[in-house]
Amino acid sequence: MSLRIPLLAGTAFALAALSGAQAAPFKCPKVGGDFVFGQEANVNSLDQMASNTISTRNIAMNLFEALMTRDENNNPITDLAESYTESPDHLTYTFKLRTGVKFHNGKTMTSADVKASWDRYAKVGLERGMFANVAKWETPDPDTFVVTMKRPQPTFIELISSFSVPIVIVPAEEAEAPAMQLKPVGTGPWQLVEFTPGSQVKLKRFEGYVPNAKYEARTGFGGYKQACFDTVTFRIVTEPGARVAGLKTGELQGVEDLPTKSLDDLKKDKNVTIAPLANWWIQVATPNTSVTPTDNLAFRRAVQAALDMDEIMDAATDGNYRLNVGFQYPNQPSYTDAGKATYNIKDPALAKKLLAESGYKGEPVVLLTNKDYSSMYNAALVMAEQLKAVGIKAELKVVDWPTSVNMQLKPDTGWNFFFTGYGTQPALGALATMQFFMPPNANYKPKGDVSDPELQADWTAMNEKPDAKDRQAAFADMQRAILEKVYALPFGSLTKVQGVRANVQGYTPFRIPRMSNVWFAN
Amino acid sequence: MLAVAARRLGSAVPVLLIVSLITFAMMHMIPGDPSTVIGGLSATPAQLAQIRADLGLDEPVLVQLFKWYGGLLHGDLGRSLLMGRDVVAVTLERLPVTVALSLYALVLTLVLGLVFGIVAALRQNSWIDQAAMMLAMLGISLPNFFLGLLGILIFAVHLGWLPTGGYIAFTDDPVGWLRTSTMPAVSLALLQVGLLARITRSTMLEVLRQDYIRTARAKGLPWRLVVIKHALTNALIPITTVVGIIVSLLVSGSVVTETLFSLPGMGQLLTQAVLNRDYPMVQGGLLLTTALLVLINIGVDMCYAVLDPRVRYER
Repeated sequence: MSLRIPLLAGTAFALAALSGAQAAPFKCPKVGGDFVFGQEANVNSLDQMASNTISTRNIAMNLFEALMTRDENNNPITDLAESYTESPDHLTYTFKLRTGVKFHNGKTMTSADVKASWDRYAKVGLERGMFANVAKWETPDPDTFVVTMKRPQPTFIELISSFSVPIVIVPAEEAEAPAMQLKPVGTGPWQLVEFTPGSQVKLKRFEGYVPNAKYEARTGFGGYKQACFDTVTFRIVTEPGARVAGLKTGELQGVEDLPTKSLDDLKKDKNVTIAPLANWWIQVATPNTSVTPTDNLAFRRAVQAALDMDEIMDAATDGNYRLNVGFQYPNQPSYTDAGKATYNIKDPALAKKLLAESGYKGEPVVLLTNKDYSSMYNAALVMAEQLKAVGIKAELKVVDWPTSVNMQLKPDTGWNFFFTGYGTQPALGALATMQFFMPPNANYKPKGDVSDPELQADWTAMNEKPDAKDRQAAFADMQRAILEKVYALPFGSLTKVQGVRANVQGYTPFRIPRMSNVWFAN
Repeated sequence: MLAVAARRLGSAVPVLLIVSLITFAMMHMIPGDPSTVIGGLSATPAQLAQIRADLGLDEPVLVQLFKWYGGLLHGDLGRSLLMGRDVVAVTLERLPVTVALSLYALVLTLVLGLVFGIVAALRQNSWIDQAAMMLAMLGISLPNFFLGLLGILIFAVHLGWLPTGGYIAFTDDPVGWLRTSTMPAVSLALLQVGLLARITRSTMLEVLRQDYIRTARAKGLPWRLVVIKHALTNALIPITTVVGIIVSLLVSGSVVTETLFSLPGMGQLLTQAVLNRDYPMVQGGLLLTTALLVLINIGVDMCYAVLDPRVRYER
C-alpha cells in the first residue's frame, strides 16, 4: 500500500505533466467589461519606436508586437517571428514570420512590413545604435526576413528582443511617419479607440487578433495572448491620493504606484488586491571622477565605507525596498554578487581612515538630486548626513529632473554625485545596464570621456565572447571593477506597488501592466 | 466703440510679440531639454545626445529663434516635440475643457460671491454678515489643491456622489460633464468667491451710504428696487474690474485643479509642457492663452461703457 501511493502519485504527476505539455491554450474564463487602469504619468505619444518612457510603454506594448520579445524570466522568445536560425558563421539571421497575422487595419503582415518597420527604426528608433553592426536586411519572400551582420555579434538576439524601445512592426504604409507621429496601428491583441493626451487612452479588443499558437499562455510580453475585456481605459491620474481613492471606490479597477503610506489601509480593504512589483529599479548615485575630490579613489572609498544602505533605502522608499548588491536582481540568471565586500560597509571609523589617506581638505562635495523623484531626493538627503558624520562637507544641489540630467552630462557643472535610478535596463539584463558605464558620456565621467581600460576590456568581452558563460564572467568582472573603483554606489532595489480590485483575475504585476489574459470574475 | 475695440486689438500685437520673446528666452535659459523626457529614466547619455540631434536642439539658440519667428510669420506655431502634433490643433483640443471649467467656476463665483457680498452688506455686523465673511475668508485661505482632495475624500470616497476624476465633454454627455466638472469647478471657484464677496460687500456698503440711495428711499421706492436698480448697478463698475481679474485667475488657477482631477485642459497641458521642456508647445500655447486673456481684458473694458453711460471711448 505504501508503495502504491507514490506509484499512483508518480503516474498522476507524469500524466499531469504530459497533459500540461499538450494543454489547451488559454481561454478567457469570462469575456467583457471595461477595465479602467489609473496610470501615474501622462503619455505624450504612442510612437513606441521613438519614446523610451514607461508611460508610453504601458499602453503601446498592448498595441504593438515585435519579431522577438522577452518571456516572464527575461529570456528572448519569438513573437511575430515563427522561428529564427543563425548561420554557422554567425553572420546571418533568418526569421520565418508567423503567417496570417493581421494588423489593426485588417491588412495581413508580410516581410515587407517588417522591412519597412526596421527601416523606420533605423531612422528614428531610439536604440538604433543596435544596428551599428548590421550590414543589411532583406525580404527573400513574404514570410522571410533576413538580417546580415558585418561581423559576428553574439548579443544581437538579446538586443533586438529588448522591450526598452522595441522594434515594433507596423504596416509599411505607416512606416514613413516622422518620429512621434506614428499612427498606432499594430498587431497586438488591443487596438486604439481613443487617445486624449492628458486624460485617457481607450483600447478595444482586436477581433482579428491571431494569437501565437506556439505557446499556451502569456509569458512576459509574448506568448499566447487573449483580450478578455471588451475595452481597457488607461486614465491618467497623476495625483497618488486620487489613484488610491479611485481604487477604493472601484472607479479604477487597477492602478500603478500606490503610495506606501496608503498600503496599510488598502490591505484591510477586501475589495482590493495589492500587487507588489519587487525590483522596480536600483537606486544609485554615480560620482563625477573628473573633479576633486571625487577624482580620488581613496576619497570615493571613504564615501563608500561611510554609507548605511538600510538607512538610505528606508528613507528613499518609505520602507519598501530590498538590499541588493550590484546591478542585477537575485531572481535573474545574470545576477552576481561580485564586489559584495564593497556594499553596505557602514563603518565610520574606516571611512575616516580612508578620508585621511585621501588627503581630503574639506572641499564641498555636491550631491546633485531632484524632487521630481522623491526616492532620489530622500536618498541624497540621508547620504549627505552620513557623509557629514565622517567629516565630509556634503551639500545638496536640488534642481528638477531634466535639469539634473543635463547637468550630469557635463563634468564641469559643479557636482560630485548624481542621483538616479536604473529601471528598465537592469530588468533587460547585464548588457543593457553596463552600457551606462561606457563612453560616450559614461556615467562616472572619466577624464576626457576615456573609458577605464579594465572596464573597456570587460565590456568588449561581454559583447564579443561567443560563449554565454564567458560573457557572464566578464559582466561579473565589470561589476566588481565598478564597485571596487567606486564608479557607482548602488544603494538597493525599490519595490513599486500596483493594485487591482479583488474581482480582477489573471493580473500579474510586471514591468508594464499587461492587459491580455486578465478578466473580471464577476 | 468698434473702432476702439479694433485699436485695442492692434495694440495687443506688440504685447503678444513681447510675450513670445520672453517665453522663448525663459524656456531656453532654464537648464534641461525634452531629450530627458523622451529618453525616459533609463536613457543612456548616448541616447540623449541622439535625441537632441534628432530634434534640432543642438542648433544655436539664435537659429532656433529665427525658425520660431519664421514659422510664426506664416501662422505656424510649430509642432509639439513630445506629442508630434500641431501646437494649434492640440491647443484647440484642450482649450474648450479649460474654458468650460472656467465658465462653470465663474458662474459659481458670480452667484455665490455676489449673493454673499450683497447679503453681508445689507445685514452689516449681523451674524449673517459674520458667517458670510467667515466663509469668504475660508475660501481665500484654503488652497484649492487641499479643497480638491477634501472634496474627493468626502464626495467620491465616502458619499460616492461624484467621480474621483476624469473628464466627459459637455457635447458627449451634459450630465456626465456636470458630474466630472462640479468638484473641480467648486474647488477652483471658492477662492474667487471669497474675493468677490469681500469686494462686493465693501463696494455695496460704500454705495448704500451715498446720498442718491438715501434720496431713493426718501422717495418711497421699495427697498428691493433701491438695492437692485440703484445700489447694485452703481457697484458693478468696480465689481466688473474684479471679475476681469477673476477670469484671469480662474484660467491660471486651472493648472492645479486640472492636474488634481485629471482634466485634459490647457493648465495641465502647459504645466506638462514646461516640465517636459516642450519648447514649441509652451511658446505656442502661452501665445494663444495670452491672446485669449488680452481679448477678455478688451471685453471687460468694453463692458464699462455698457454699464456706465459716463464712460465714452470715442471722444
